[in-house]
Amino acid sequence: MTSRPDRGSSAGRRRTVTGGPGPGLTGLSRSLGRVTAVRFLGSMVGLTVTVPGWRGAVPGQFALLQAEPSRCFLARALSVSDEAGEKVSFLIAPVGDGTRELCALRGGDRVWVLGPLGKGFDVDALVTGPERVVIVAGGAGVAPFPLLLSRLLVKYQAVSVGGTGGGRRTPVAGGPKVLVLLGFRDGAQSGCALPVQQAVSEMEEKGLRCRLEMAFEDGSRGPVEKATDLLDRHLRSGDRVAVCGPGAMAAAVWKVCRAVPDVETWFSLETNMACGVGSCHGCVLKLADGSDARVCHDGPVFAGKEVFGA
Amino acid sequence: MPDLSVRLGPLRLEHPVINASGTMELFELVEVLGSSVIDDPPVAAYVPKTVTLERRAGNPAPRILETTGGMINAIGLPGPGLRAFIERELPRLLALSCPVIISIGGFSRREYTALAGGLKEALDRSAGGDWTGRVGLEVNISCPNVCSGCASIGGDPGETAEVVAAVRALWPGLLVAKLTPNVTDITAIGRAAAASGADALAAVNTFKGLVIDRETLKPYLGNVTGGLSGPAIKPLALRTVYELFAAVDVPIIGMGGVATVQDVVDFISCGATAVAVGSATFREPCLARALSEGLGRFLDGRGLALGGLRGTAHTRE
Repeated sequence: MTSRPDRGSSAGRRRTVTGGPGPGLTGLSRSLGRVTAVRFLGSMVGLTVTVPGWRGAVPGQFALLQAEPSRCFLARALSVSDEAGEKVSFLIAPVGDGTRELCALRGGDRVWVLGPLGKGFDVDALVTGPERVVIVAGGAGVAPFPLLLSRLLVKYQAVSVGGTGGGRRTPVAGGPKVLVLLGFRDGAQSGCALPVQQAVSEMEEKGLRCRLEMAFEDGSRGPVEKATDLLDRHLRSGDRVAVCGPGAMAAAVWKVCRAVPDVETWFSLETNMACGVGSCHGCVLKLADGSDARVCHDGPVFAGKEVFGA
Repeated sequence: MPDLSVRLGPLRLEHPVINASGTMELFELVEVLGSSVIDDPPVAAYVPKTVTLERRAGNPAPRILETTGGMINAIGLPGPGLRAFIERELPRLLALSCPVIISIGGFSRREYTALAGGLKEALDRSAGGDWTGRVGLEVNISCPNVCSGCASIGGDPGETAEVVAAVRALWPGLLVAKLTPNVTDITAIGRAAAASGADALAAVNTFKGLVIDRETLKPYLGNVTGGLSGPAIKPLALRTVYELFAAVDVPIIGMGGVATVQDVVDFISCGATAVAVGSATFREPCLARALSEGLGRFLDGRGLALGGLRGTAHTRE
């Protein structure tokens, strides 16, 4: 006996995947982009997608990505890692079905993109502090920082050629203006540091003092330590700190930062999201004042004191 | 393009595709999609998130998880409460170019009448003239994610009849009863609602479900149970529309897993007058409009009028 699941079942006749909204639909708000580059970065993948109509992101903003076709129902929220016109890059860790699907895409493959979404880092607030900009990332939390570093470079260059705005600052004698502290589980995970390392090199080439340090939890490349150990060693009063990483790391970073006077922090938080635009109320976070924030709409970047209190 | 307009009680919809309550914050989409989303909404009628009498925080996190072919949620009706809704939301809702169907959820009959009465009073005061062609009411008696009221009312024909009749007595506009599928016989609930004065039925809300955290082996959702939605539930939802169409004479708003033009066609074939897009909105905010345009092309291709499609699944040939 032959079963004919493709007869009578309209779903079976068209296709069984649930990814795209269907062929030939018009007036969609998502853009159907094409993968233009794939980089294998240790255990992560750097995906560059050409997104028609991309508006340009603030560092820390994210986009919803879904392969086309896809076996998943929902898109995945991913930080914008870098951008050049309509070429938008993402750093993706294959942690579940959706991210594995995205990591398996190859040049020319199609992917739906909605974004940029959410509130990113306040670049002006970071650069106008009395001391350095300190970037702290754990694992896949490196994702938003290549873009932040390139925007910091633009800001500092504007200042050094006599640009206006409150950004004029005297260089910190003997030390870097930007300190980047990355923590990884192991060497394989640290492959995703490459875009950050390249952004740091570019800053140095352009004459901006920038230093990068990495910590490895497995001790494979030096002492057993975390990004927070590096931060504990280097943080000083007046620093402005941008953080992205797992929840436990973020809490540990906050503990280090609150112990030093005049340190301001901003955290890019990760969470499961459905809509990415504030519609579903699924990604709520209890803030220090007891109110609920939607990470997608009110964040994903929050001031440390909003999240953790005083 | 064929005429896609439909009537739900006193409301005229430009096309049959609307959103399910709780899946679209239209005014916040402006930040992403620009003001065109307000000037020309992607839905034929906008259904805001269910309004409760008092402010509610909603359920503890985590509230959502993707499942095979869909997702589960336990949001728990967070919201600012009726007074804040009337002050902050109602004015901008009334300025929309499409009709609005306000969803209300309560924990007792008295709460439903307080909500409907409060809204009517506010509309009489601020909407100017006869507003019944612009604003309808959905009584959500089917949310699975709150501990009392709501779904327990919609699970009982007697309580459904009492709430619908009480709201009907004071609400002059479109009155929709949104039904839960988590009952033995949905036609008994649908008949009770229609007989008590509901102008239309919305079928259906989410299916109560549960997911396990693969690390802890405990229920994943903060609320333990949640409501399942998405393409996985479409055949289940279609069945409820099919059964209700045969059981009641009022129009049905079909929903449950609508993601493609074919889904819209299927719900209308089973008897739906309008169709709501729910969680598929989360991946494509403007899906409703795209589906209505696709429906138009489908009807053109088949040489059918919209009315000729409705209920065709019930005729034997």
